[in-house]
Parts: sequence; C-alpha cells; structure tokens
Amino acid sequence: MGKDLLIKTLKHEKTDGVPWVPFAGVHAGKLKGYTAEEVLKDADKLFESLMEVKKIYAPDGMPIMFDLQVEAEILGCDLLWAKDNPPSVKSHPCSGEKSIPCNCKIPTADSGRIPMIVDVMKRMKAAVGEEVALYGLICGPFTLASHLRGSEIFMDMIKDPAYVKELVEFCGEVACKLSEIYIEAGMDVIAVVDPLVSQISPKHFESMLSDSFKATFDFIREKGALSSFFVCGNATRQIKVMCDTNPDSISVDENVNLHDSKLVTDPYNITIGGNIPLTTTMLHGNQQDNMKCVIDLMDSLDHHNLIISPGCDMPYDTPIENTVAVAQAVKRTDDARKMIENYESVEEDIDISIPDYKDRDKVLIELFLLDPEQCAACTYMLNSVVDIYDEIKEMADYVVYKYTIKEDIARTKKMGISNLPTMCVNGEVKWVSIIPSKEEFINEIKKYIKKK
Amino acid sequence: MNKELIFQMAHASIIDCDEDKAMQVIKDAQDNNIDLVELLSMGFSSGIRELGDQFGRGEIFLPELIFSTEVMKKASAVIEEKLGSDNVQKKAKMVIGTVAGDVHDIGKGIVCSLVKSNGVEVYDLGREVPALTFIEKAEEYQVDFIGSSALLTTTMTEQKKIEDILRKEGLRDKYKTMVGGAPVTKRWAEKIGADAYCEDAAESVKMVMQWIEQGGK
Repeated sequence: MGKDLLIKTLKHEKTDGVPWVPFAGVHAGKLKGYTAEEVLKDADKLFESLMEVKKIYAPDGMPIMFDLQVEAEILGCDLLWAKDNPPSVKSHPCSGEKSIPCNCKIPTADSGRIPMIVDVMKRMKAAVGEEVALYGLICGPFTLASHLRGSEIFMDMIKDPAYVKELVEFCGEVACKLSEIYIEAGMDVIAVVDPLVSQISPKHFESMLSDSFKATFDFIREKGALSSFFVCGNATRQIKVMCDTNPDSISVDENVNLHDSKLVTDPYNITIGGNIPLTTTMLHGNQQDNMKCVIDLMDSLDHHNLIISPGCDMPYDTPIENTVAVAQAVKRTDDARKMIENYESVEEDIDISIPDYKDRDKVLIELFLLDPEQCAACTYMLNSVVDIYDEIKEMADYVVYKYTIKEDIARTKKMGISNLPTMCVNGEVKWVSIIPSKEEFINEIKKYIKKK
Repeated sequence: MNKELIFQMAHASIIDCDEDKAMQVIKDAQDNNIDLVELLSMGFSSGIRELGDQFGRGEIFLPELIFSTEVMKKASAVIEEKLGSDNVQKKAKMVIGTVAGDVHDIGKGIVCSLVKSNGVEVYDLGREVPALTFIEKAEEYQVDFIGSSALLTTTMTEQKKIEDILRKEGLRDKYKTMVGGAPVTKRWAEKIGADAYCEDAAESVKMVMQWIEQGGK
C-alpha cells in the first residue's frame, strides 16, 4: 500500500487497490492555521503543514507545493498574494512586445523560492519518503508562456504561431530545468500542471505545444522519475493529444467525464486520475456527499491505471472532515458504502439517551469516529485521548461511538454532529477533525471540572 | 451583389476570423448602398452569435473566439466611424468587472467584447473591482445590467456583497445582475440572489439579449 501502490499504478502494473492523492496545496496550511502566503514562502510552516496532511489524510502520494507562479515570479512577473489562494500573476514581462526571455534567465537551484522548496522536498523525503510518493509540481510550458505574454498569447496563436512555438519552447526548457532540480531533491513524480491547455484546440496543441510537452516528459523519464500531466477545465477534446505527448499519467478535474476519458487513456496505457468536484462536493458538500462521490466514481471505473484525487488544487477552506471522508471511501470503499447505507436508513427515533452531564462525577469525553481502525484522523483523535488517559482518568471518562454501528449513528444524529471525527466534552463539540495537543486537551478538561 | 450575399460574407468573415474580408464587405456594402447598421446586426453580429454558440459547444476554442471578437470590434468601429457613433443606437448599457482580490480577466474580457459586439454599451471596470464600485459606476453610467466575474473560491464572496449593497441601498430592482467565473455555479447565483449565472461568454450574451427583449429591468 502507500507509495508502492501509487508507483505501481503509475508504472501500469496490476494492483489490489486504488491510490489516493490529495492535492493539498494551500489547504495544507489550513491544517496548521497558516495562511496560503505563509506556507508558500516559509519552509518550516510548509513542512509542518505537509506532515499534518500525511498524518490526517493518509495519502499514497502528495504534492510538496501547488503554486504555478514560482517560475513566473523568477522570470519577472509581479504576483498578487492572497491569504487563502495561491498568488496570481498581475504583470506580464513579454506583454506589448513579442520577445523571448534570455536563456540566462532559466531558473537555477538558487533562483526565487526554489531553495526553500528544495529544502522542504528534502525534509519530506527524509521524513516520509519511504511511505508516500512525493510530487514535485511545475508550471506547464503553455501556462508559463501565458504568464509571460498575458492574454495576447491567444491572438498570437492565430497571427504568429512561430512566436508562440518559440516562447513555449523556452518555457519547456524551464520545465526541464525545474524537473531536474526537483528530481535531484528526491521527487518521485513530476507533475506538469497546465490548466490552460483546455482552452485551445487539439490542432493548436499539436502544432505549437506538443513538442515541448513531449520533450519535458521524455526528460523526466530519462532522469528516472515518473510524470503526470495535470489539466483543468473541460479538456475532454484535448485528452487524446495530451496522451500523444507520452506522460505516465494524466489528471483531470470535474469538467471531464472520467469514465469516457479513461476509454481514451487506456489504449495508450496511461494512468488517469481525478476528479472529485472541488467546490460543489469538497468545499460545500458534507461527508456523505464526499463518500458517495468517491464510491460512485470507483463503481463506474475499471480500477487498473486509476488514481483518485481532487479535481485540482483543493480550496483552502475545504472542510478537513470532507477530505477525511474521501480518504476513508478510497481506502475502505465497502465500509464507506455501508456507512452511507446505514446513515440513510437509520431512523432518528432509535431510543438514545443523552447522558446527564451535570450530574456526573467525572467529565465525559465522547469520540464520534468514522472507523478508528481505518480512518487515520479517527485513529489520531482516539489516540490523543488513550495516550494520556492515565493522567486524566481521575477526572474524566471517555466513550467511543463508531459510524459503522446503527445505534451510534443515531446518537451522532441526535447530538447534531454532522462531521466526523468529532470530540465532545460534556456534550459540547470541541474538536472536529483537528487533533488537540496534550496541553490543549487537558486544559479543556480542567475547565469543565472548574465548572462543576 | 445582393444584400443577402453581403450579409452572408459579413457572417463568414467573423466565422473565418478574417479581418481583410470584413473590411472588404463593409466597402462592398457601401458600394451597393446597403444600410451599414443592418449590415452590423444581420451580418457581423449574426456571425459572432454563431461563434459564441460554437464556443459554448466546445467546437472552437479561446484563440479563435478572441481573434474573431477582435475582427468584430474593428468592423463595428469602422461602421460607427462612417456613420458617426450617435447613429448606431445602443440597445442597453452594462458595467462589468472582475471582483476585488481577483486579477483574472481573460473570461471577463471576452464577455465584454461579445456583449459589446451585440450592440450593448459596455463599461469595463477592469479587475480587482470593489463591490461598491460596481454599484457607484452603475449609478453613474445609468446602466441596465451589472456583470461580475470571480475566478477564485475566496473572491466569489464579493459577488454576494454586490447583491447585499444593492438590497441595502434599495437599488435591487433597478438592475439585472449576472455572475460568472470558474468556481461560480447556478446554485451560488441563486443563493446570493443574482438574476443569472452564465457559464461562458455565449450564455452571457444570450442572457443579456433575453433581458433586452423582455424590456430590460
């Protein structure tokens, strides 16, 4: 399982499971209370956040940094930073005048934020590299070309294709250089992320972009790493020409029908990944929506050459419990199916008595979990209590409710708890998906003793 | 050369993204005493509408759409210059912009050009536009429609602010509002109380035209 499962999938070998890769870019920061800007600029905060992603979401593979503006910033684009999004490019150095940047500007290991990224890559490799496949993300040559030239590039594609091809070739060289740096820092997979590819015709892709993408994927292969071609938007018509550039895998978002696209990628023996809807399901849905989405996806697809992941970079504020539910559904699909069935079938009127917290001698800690054996976040939440129980047993009791048991589901509903794992203290919700530190936890218990 | 043939050529010049052909058609129309306003609406605008539909169906892509929109803009400018812009009556007025905190404006730019190509006077407020500015400018220019684009899940909330301010100021019934952008959905439009969600440029044009036919506000 874990890294081995993902690597086998990317090498098109038969596997006994489907790998799960959460694209927790800026969302990683949310897990530790850091802003997008903080995790994209500060190595320690990024590392700390990524370790939390590994802990809570139990991924088989994970990206180190999801920021398509790293290369653009080095090449002279001004960025607009945000608290809860990756930065946006706000100025384009080749706008107004058709020019190709000097080769002397191709990034090196010392350029811009690359030293910080490489530092975190090396630390993550040392910390979890045996268990999790690590993704180094680079900006695809076409999107980088658009960062440099601005929206004029779309006019250029009709008026001056030779210029576009030359600019994209330059960006292809940047892509190879970044790939080399990231592979040397220990990345197992290089993801070439090019959202704009969905906006141009397959004919334009072939005449102006194919060569640079193919050269990038060949380069990654020569260097001994695996590759993925990420696209955003409705890329249905571009999947075939993307396959022709020979990546090991392709990743698509919710605008693409994964079933139909797999019919295109399978004859090429290219792995396909996707495509849990980012906003309607992950950001605005609940745990049941997310489990159901994954189950429906997995039921509709042949599991060979398949990766389950969000459609693209997860929104910063994606509820942690939704991602926990996705992880559970990918790893324990049949259990998740049962949980949803139980959830839908459980009547609210199963006789459940709520404890009389005020009359109890001790504080009561109630843990509402999906499945403490299989859900990583649930296991950690349970352990946060079990590990210190000796220290608190004189003042508190704890009880575990599992989402696999009908009576426990009824209790979950009656208590008004909508997301799991959740920890309550004397009937009040205290932590949802977040695992409290020992100090924080004990302080909270003490507050309740004082109240008595 | 008869009128229908010239209209067809105008239509084709937009579909083929051919600026030279478009300029030739205008000259042919003048030589044949064809009303240039009619040429604009029956010929060029018909072409841009078809192109918008093709874009909506995924049959053409962004470069072709942007290029043809440029050809359309040039044809409109030449006709307006020949007639004097006052003689080309605008059907309605609209303000449009990308909301505060958001610098993405490719999609907004296309909507702007396409709507303009269909005879609507469009005031492009640019990008990073605060919610209040949308309303101040709508009042200043006395427009009929307000369009806002948001490309980030976090900046979508600015679209809600526009609706909130309109309601607070008692101006909600004065304007029709439309929202768009990659993360925006019909559900979002309904939730915040916008009049329409438009998935792409072609839908935006259709919605604006529909509102005009219905008598605007």
